[in-house]
Amino acid sequence: MRVALADDHQDVLDFMTSILEEMEHIVVTFPDGERLSQGLMRDTFDLVILDWNMPKKDGLAVLNWMQEAIKEAPPVIMMTSRTAKNDITAALNAGADDYITKPEDRNVISARISAMLRRSANSGSFETKAVYGKYTLDRIEHKVMYDDKEVTLTAKEFELIDLLFRNRDRTMSRDYIMETIWRTNAALTTRTLDMHISRVRSKLNLKPENGFRIFTVFGYGYRLETLN
Amino acid sequence: MTFRLRLIIEWFIIAFLANAVVITFLQWDITASFDNLLYDGLSETARPPADDDILIVAIDDASLKEFGKWPWARDQHAQVINNIKKLEPRSISLDIILSETGEPEGDKALSEALYGAPLNPEETPSNGPAIFLPLHFVTPGNDGRAFDTILPASPFLDPKMGQKNLGHVNLTFDSDGILRKNNICFQASEETPMWPHLMERIYQNRHGKASPAMEKAVKKPFCEAPVLIPFSESGSISTISYSEAANGTMLADSVRGKDVIIGATAAGLGDNYPTPSSNGSLIPGVEIIANMLGALERDDFITPLSLWQSILISLLPIWILLIGFLRWQPRQILMASGVIFLGLLILSATLLYFGFWFPPGPALAALFLAYPLWGWRRLQAMSYYMGRKLRELESEEDSSPLGLIQKKSIDLVGKQRDTLDQAIDNIRDLRRFVTDTLSGLPDPMFVINMDNEVILSNDILNQRIDSNLVGGDLSNAIETMVRKEDRPSVWQYIEASDIESADVIIDQEEIVRMVDNYSSSYVRFTSPRGRNFVMRRVPLLSNEGEYRGYIHYLADITALARADSQREEMLQLLSHDMRAPQSAILALLDGKIDEHAKQSIANNSKRTLQLAQDFVEIARMGETPFDGEELLIDSLVEEVIDSLWPLANERGIKIDLSNISEGSFIIGEADSLSRAFMNLLDNAIKFSPDNSNIAVKIKNMEFGKTTMVSITLEDQGNGIDSDMLPILFEKFTTNRGNEGRAQGTGLGLSFVSAVIERHHGSISADNKRDGGAIFSILIPESIEGES
Repeated sequence: MRVALADDHQDVLDFMTSILEEMEHIVVTFPDGERLSQGLMRDTFDLVILDWNMPKKDGLAVLNWMQEAIKEAPPVIMMTSRTAKNDITAALNAGADDYITKPEDRNVISARISAMLRRSANSGSFETKAVYGKYTLDRIEHKVMYDDKEVTLTAKEFELIDLLFRNRDRTMSRDYIMETIWRTNAALTTRTLDMHISRVRSKLNLKPENGFRIFTVFGYGYRLETLN
Repeated sequence: MTFRLRLIIEWFIIAFLANAVVITFLQWDITASFDNLLYDGLSETARPPADDDILIVAIDDASLKEFGKWPWARDQHAQVINNIKKLEPRSISLDIILSETGEPEGDKALSEALYGAPLNPEETPSNGPAIFLPLHFVTPGNDGRAFDTILPASPFLDPKMGQKNLGHVNLTFDSDGILRKNNICFQASEETPMWPHLMERIYQNRHGKASPAMEKAVKKPFCEAPVLIPFSESGSISTISYSEAANGTMLADSVRGKDVIIGATAAGLGDNYPTPSSNGSLIPGVEIIANMLGALERDDFITPLSLWQSILISLLPIWILLIGFLRWQPRQILMASGVIFLGLLILSATLLYFGFWFPPGPALAALFLAYPLWGWRRLQAMSYYMGRKLRELESEEDSSPLGLIQKKSIDLVGKQRDTLDQAIDNIRDLRRFVTDTLSGLPDPMFVINMDNEVILSNDILNQRIDSNLVGGDLSNAIETMVRKEDRPSVWQYIEASDIESADVIIDQEEIVRMVDNYSSSYVRFTSPRGRNFVMRRVPLLSNEGEYRGYIHYLADITALARADSQREEMLQLLSHDMRAPQSAILALLDGKIDEHAKQSIANNSKRTLQLAQDFVEIARMGETPFDGEELLIDSLVEEVIDSLWPLANERGIKIDLSNISEGSFIIGEADSLSRAFMNLLDNAIKFSPDNSNIAVKIKNMEFGKTTMVSITLEDQGNGIDSDMLPILFEKFTTNRGNEGRAQGTGLGLSFVSAVIERHHGSISADNKRDGGAIFSILIPESIEGES
């Protein structure tokens, strides 16, 4: 797939290019936001990965410009060393589909990129029985097996687990999760979701030892990360 | 024109008017009616007794009835005189004008009766009584004379004495028609003879010399010296009827040795006049001249003061009052006026007692003119002055910074009252404005007066030092505000900036220069509560430049001082803490790059990164207000453990989480809390031996009404040096002081403590009995629906 990569640091471009090429993607690099905008007008890409702090036109400006200028814009991953909660939510709310803080582990980056591409490529895929490491999801029986033992879950908990696993390595907003599972967000507090997440985490023992962890993007949402 | 000058001019006008009133009133007798009334009243109180040596033979109504209508035949008079003569009176005077001749027989008989018959030149004057006859004046006289003298007809002139038994009987009336005074003598001009009064003739006959009054009167030109007659009680002089004399029925004793005066008393004869003693009725002319004789005898004529004397006496109290106008209070002036009023009346009465008449009317008139006039002018001037000042105040646009509510009255007095109201409001507003402004100043300040007493301190100062300085003195204030170590330098500054003399008057330029000077010097001190201040003091001067006290301006530079120390910290961080790992990386890159070197480079790099993030987070916390959201602390701690799992796992360290809380939500800042727990856990991992356990416990704890979330971290390391325990959470304390592993950031734990404090929580550290450190954190739980 074609990935547009914009960053003003050559080291970062090289590092990212090596990851993407290992994943067998075609990479086009841009040194600043201006060039990236021009490239996006001429060419079509399946994914855009861009830095926030770039000369001429910063990442947020490119994001805003994309919302207006490009029809059926490709998914965007914002990559930056800005780690403050407010910065992350600002980027996500501006239209970025995901957000990677620098520095980040090579494997995490590749997992997050594939999650993004997976969703955009075959969002309609449906497996009745899916295996994720130690976890097996039976989507017909609505059961989860952990280490070949069944974990007792409520219907909503299963739906939440299902949603998290399908969108693993992708950041989902609270609103998205609540609308997907509860259909409506009326009378639902963030506490309810927080408590569900917490319960699911402990019931399934979703811990780094088991290859997964749930990551809270404070002020925005959640992400189930796969670890090697 | 100034208020003062205006007042002086008005004073002069009033003084002039008062003097003019006194002089003109005296000159033209304008207050005569009042003065006469007073004189009559006063003379009523002291009527002299009647002269017993006088006998009036009255041609009364009974006589008229008996002898028919007037004039009577002169032989009638002759008979009466002869009758009287027989009884040997001292003298006989006729108050009957005999200026014309009548029937020759009658005239002859009368002449004989008067001077004896037959008229014999050889005969020496008989022992008979002296005879006095009246002459009268025609006014005005011929040839420009004041009057012409009409003598009795020739048959009635004394053949021996010539004109020496003649006297005038003229009467002088006051402007109110009442007879009060008379002239002892008359002289028409220098060429004409001087005529004494008929009574003076009788007096001279009695005593053989001129009366004292006569002696005084002749000294005046033309004998012009009228004197006031003290009248005896009306009717008190012995009187017999003419008819009695004619019939010879009177008692001999009543005539013998007396001065007999024959005159008309009958109302129909017209010789009756009003006098002070007549009480509204009339007194016969003969009684009036009889009174004169009494006065001559007693020598108690009342002399009117001359014009100049009266003027002097009148002006003296008036001038006392006029000078008093300028010096006394209104109440004193009123009292003085009363005293002068009474004094004038008493003076007049006293002088009358001593035989002088002073008319107090003009002086009283002047008093009654001057006092209210002055009072009015003073009031007017005050009103004008007030009005002008009020207008001035009104026209000073900037005098009321808060503006004024315009009131509207229709009348002038109402307007003035409104203006005054506004002026007073204005001053109140202004005072309020100044007080509020000072109180509301963003910088602390206090003011002392000349006696070093604190008279004002604003709210912000009271708040900063948590006490009110007002009421205390300067040294009190210094003790409250300044910690002990800094006091000497503060006192040194205060003494250096004191004005040497309190009386010194400083002009405008000097003030500007001084303020410049003062604002460039200051003193810096720390309060007992650890706040840092800079203090300047500026002298407080009155409008005239007199020293009144000092204003002390303070600036709270605590934040600045903190910023200073933060800059120091940053320099420390950059110069050592960040440089060290970077140097290590460079050193490692110089050698062989194997897996171990790569790992070391990564670790050093991560340390630098963590340091930078801590620092950024600390800076952010210092700058931004607390921005918490409701978050599940269990999840947050769990995710921190997850994120550090690889680090712990690498060394076989197990992190056990035991969560016995039922989902504890707190209001927190996810960023700073995550970093804080990460620092703590990272530390614990760092100081834990390989393959050891780290226990993390979360539970709820009840403290009265509030529920706290308790989070504890226990490791199995060597624990914390006991020396380090008290200062563990201070900045740049290298964690745990373990010199073998001096790789601490120096920021980590102070950052953690700052974060927990920011969440209204608390953190403590201790060593477990079996070794290893334990960190305990308490954060208040949030109640559902609170945020």
